Amino acid sequence: MAANEKGDRGGPRIGVFTCHCGVNISQTVDVEACRDFAAQCPNVVVSQDYKFMCSNTGQELIQRAIEEHSLDRVVVAACSPLMHEPTFRSACEKAGLNRFLFQMANIREQCAWVHDDRQMASAKARALINAAIRRVALQEPLQPYETKINPATLIIGGGIAGIQAALELAEANQPVYLVEREPTIGGKMAVFDKTFPTLDCAACILTPKMVSVSHRESIRLRTMHEVEEVAGHMGNYRVRLRRRQRYVDVDRCTGCGQCISHCPATRIPSSREIIRDGRVMTEVTRDPASGRKVARSFDPTMLHPDASSRSGPEDYSSGVVSDEEISKDLQKFEQPRRGGPSPMQRYLRLVRAQSKMSEEQVERRRTGDCTGCGFCAEICDGLVGATAIRMASIGKDERGKDQMRPFLVSLDACIGCGACATVCPTGFLTIRDRADDKGRIRDFALGNHSAIYLPFPQAVPKVPVIDAESCIHLQLGEGCGVCHNVCEPEAIRFGQQEEIEEIEVGQILVATGYQLFDASSIPQYGHGRLDNVISSLEFEAMLNSTGPTGGHVRMKNGEEPRAIAIIHCVGSRDDNHHRYCSRVCCMCGLKFAHLVKDRTSAEVYQLYIDMRAFGKGYEEFYSRVLEEGVNIIRGKAAEVVEQRFGDMSEGILHVRCEDTLIGKFRDIPVDMVILCNALEPDADTERLGNILGVSRSPDGFFLERHPKLDPVGTVSDGIYLAGACQGPKDIPDTVAQAQAAAARILSTITKGSVMLDPIKATIAHESCSGCRICNSLCPYSAISYDPEESVSTVNVTLCKGCGTCVAACPSGAITGAGFRDDQILAELEGILV
Amino acid sequence: MSESSEFAEDLHRKILETEAGRDLPRCFACGTCSSGCPVHEQRPEFDPRKIIRSVLMGLESELFDSGVIWLCSTCYTCLERCPQEVGCAQIITELRNAAAADGRAPEAFRMQMEALRQFGRVYEIEDFDNRRRQKMGLAVLDSHANIEPLLTDEREGE
Repeated sequence: MAANEKGDRGGPRIGVFTCHCGVNISQTVDVEACRDFAAQCPNVVVSQDYKFMCSNTGQELIQRAIEEHSLDRVVVAACSPLMHEPTFRSACEKAGLNRFLFQMANIREQCAWVHDDRQMASAKARALINAAIRRVALQEPLQPYETKINPATLIIGGGIAGIQAALELAEANQPVYLVEREPTIGGKMAVFDKTFPTLDCAACILTPKMVSVSHRESIRLRTMHEVEEVAGHMGNYRVRLRRRQRYVDVDRCTGCGQCISHCPATRIPSSREIIRDGRVMTEVTRDPASGRKVARSFDPTMLHPDASSRSGPEDYSSGVVSDEEISKDLQKFEQPRRGGPSPMQRYLRLVRAQSKMSEEQVERRRTGDCTGCGFCAEICDGLVGATAIRMASIGKDERGKDQMRPFLVSLDACIGCGACATVCPTGFLTIRDRADDKGRIRDFALGNHSAIYLPFPQAVPKVPVIDAESCIHLQLGEGCGVCHNVCEPEAIRFGQQEEIEEIEVGQILVATGYQLFDASSIPQYGHGRLDNVISSLEFEAMLNSTGPTGGHVRMKNGEEPRAIAIIHCVGSRDDNHHRYCSRVCCMCGLKFAHLVKDRTSAEVYQLYIDMRAFGKGYEEFYSRVLEEGVNIIRGKAAEVVEQRFGDMSEGILHVRCEDTLIGKFRDIPVDMVILCNALEPDADTERLGNILGVSRSPDGFFLERHPKLDPVGTVSDGIYLAGACQGPKDIPDTVAQAQAAAARILSTITKGSVMLDPIKATIAHESCSGCRICNSLCPYSAISYDPEESVSTVNVTLCKGCGTCVAACPSGAITGAGFRDDQILAELEGILV
Repeated sequence: MSESSEFAEDLHRKILETEAGRDLPRCFACGTCSSGCPVHEQRPEFDPRKIIRSVLMGLESELFDSGVIWLCSTCYTCLERCPQEVGCAQIITELRNAAAADGRAPEAFRMQMEALRQFGRVYEIEDFDNRRRQKMGLAVLDSHANIEPLLTDEREGE
């Protein structure tokens, strides 16, 4: 036989195995011709084809050939190495062949699936096989490195996916670092009120899990942290975390909330205004570009008549708080100014006095009229240190006494903190959301409105955070410090800086979730332009009992809507935005419809393209909502148009659509429109993907290793995905994926060690000149310089075998195992000849 | 096979082969085109969604007979908003071309084309028009605009 003669010459003995992959390859590539071509290539002892080379029979065929023909090299021409390289390497190993004396030619993804022309595709397949044969002849046996698995796991993202996975791992007593960008864990689910289709209260099922996270000793919670750098490989990752400032010491804080109830400043998520006697004195907005607060005023009557007025800081009127209410707990505070109590003391007394007053008493004092007490000016000057308002006389009263009122003395000095309104005992000065801020219906941030705040009552850790852009002390670098004064455990840290923490983990779970599509980029729906057109998450916040309306469905003017339209597919299933279906919106829209029906008497219209109620219990929920009398209209809304009559405080919104089932144009008047926004990848996805080496699918979400057979893994070993960062997902699917990921992580931890690819760079020390060019080029910081020997050395646990150093070394001292120059050149020759 | 069904099949194939026709099967009938259509609001019989569905089912001849294709104002709102990027307005243009080629353009359109060919404008400029133009300080126009160079230039440009 011709084949045996070749081997007798003493060269390598190569076996080539070409796969049909059912018809996947053979319908475009002439597999038989490839087989025959390979048979006559130099050093090829045996060439065979088979329908499914990856099947047991196919693998046995390879193993038998290795034994029968004493093969010492194997080439398989089949699919992508990503798919089956490990399969065939193991098959070689079983037959006693070193697993790196194997090479794969990808004639499926690179030939059959991308070409139509059978002749050309076959020619290309032959070239690829030829390249593999020439390369494999020069390959050397390599030994994989065994490395121990660090049992610690890094979980990025503290939403329901991250929480669930952390709890599963903690249950097995494995250490977990749970890293969350926000001040609290809980993610998007913490905003929800009810979950479909069972209408479980989201807080009731999430809060116990969040609390459990804080109680588990093996979970190290890192809130306000972000992942900055990841080095290493499966089993041994070195991760740099950056901590943003919370300005509160998490370990010391007891969560008593004294700081929150005493804070004089108001947090400004979008815009607020300080009202003086029913008119806008100062308008405070947050510049979306810089995040800084800007204070403006347009009303000249609010300005102080004379900047050098006699009513300077010395002229404080007195008598806001009766001193006998509290006295003994004031003694620890500062020296009183000019014999009397300091502004800080007077402020604290006021807050304590107010906290002791009944609602009725508070109400009685809020007459809206100024008594000229001057407390606002005193606080602005003495406590805040801004001196933006002063008292001035507006004339004499009947008894000949000056009637004092607060005026703006300097707009530049005003930092918009709102302390003046906080201390005003009568409501002459108040702070409120800007009512005419178009489209922004309410401040949708959950939690209280002080500058030091808890994101929501069930936050974990239950530690407040200071909003640096609203805090008086942090804006001015001095002054206020009320929170510091009242904090008994002394947990306030104004001087806190960003901090870097380095941790070592074995595996990484990415659970970074999604962000909501910005519906204002579909101008015809009017989000951000029309009042009462709100996004799904805004509506979730409204439904939440700890939200801005206490769970009531309200329009901006505070009234209950008479009719509500729910528009599906806003930004999803739309070529102009996102092509994919966001999967949760249909059910979310139905849940909204149910809750609106439950809490109001409003008529509800659902405008859908296709109703997708696919999960367990979902179709039943759909039927239930239909029975509740929700109007279901098949047709996508074209536009929302506002119509206003006379002095109506809220216009009527006309939702224009075609009822495609009867082919009639409809113009539905409603009071409120809820948009079911698409779920899109978090803005940080690209950066994080680059850090982790995890690629993204065309829709921008993280790419799983295999859509069906490995939806949890990624192409980077040791890095897994869970939740909506891999694609839009509802809570049941997210939890299932998180548990699956935890199982994968645990199985690797239990195994104890993994074999690592020996494709690494090595430096021949006798040729190394010690120039250190490679040191700075290595993207994984795997090369270090040994000053004693004057040579560079590769740390094999960090090296990923990328080959940058190999190409850069001026003296050719570095070789990449399995990627020697002669091997690469032989491969290229094989393609070209 | 009758002559008319042969014509219909031929037309159907031709329409689907045009650039806009190739996108047509992507339509999932959400009705965004119809509900945003300014013509549909005034003339409910003009329904872009139904026109797309009719073309997909090979019922172009019915559209010719009903005359709805001549109502489109080619404002392109439908294409602008279509989530599937189906070029409804372009399809209507293709249908109009096919109808005109078959001699089925409405009389008004034919007269307009004739006027354009004859005067270079969609209507004839008469003394009355020029007197009004002079009152407004505008230049007097020839009754015949010579559009021949424009057409030939364009042809040379191609």
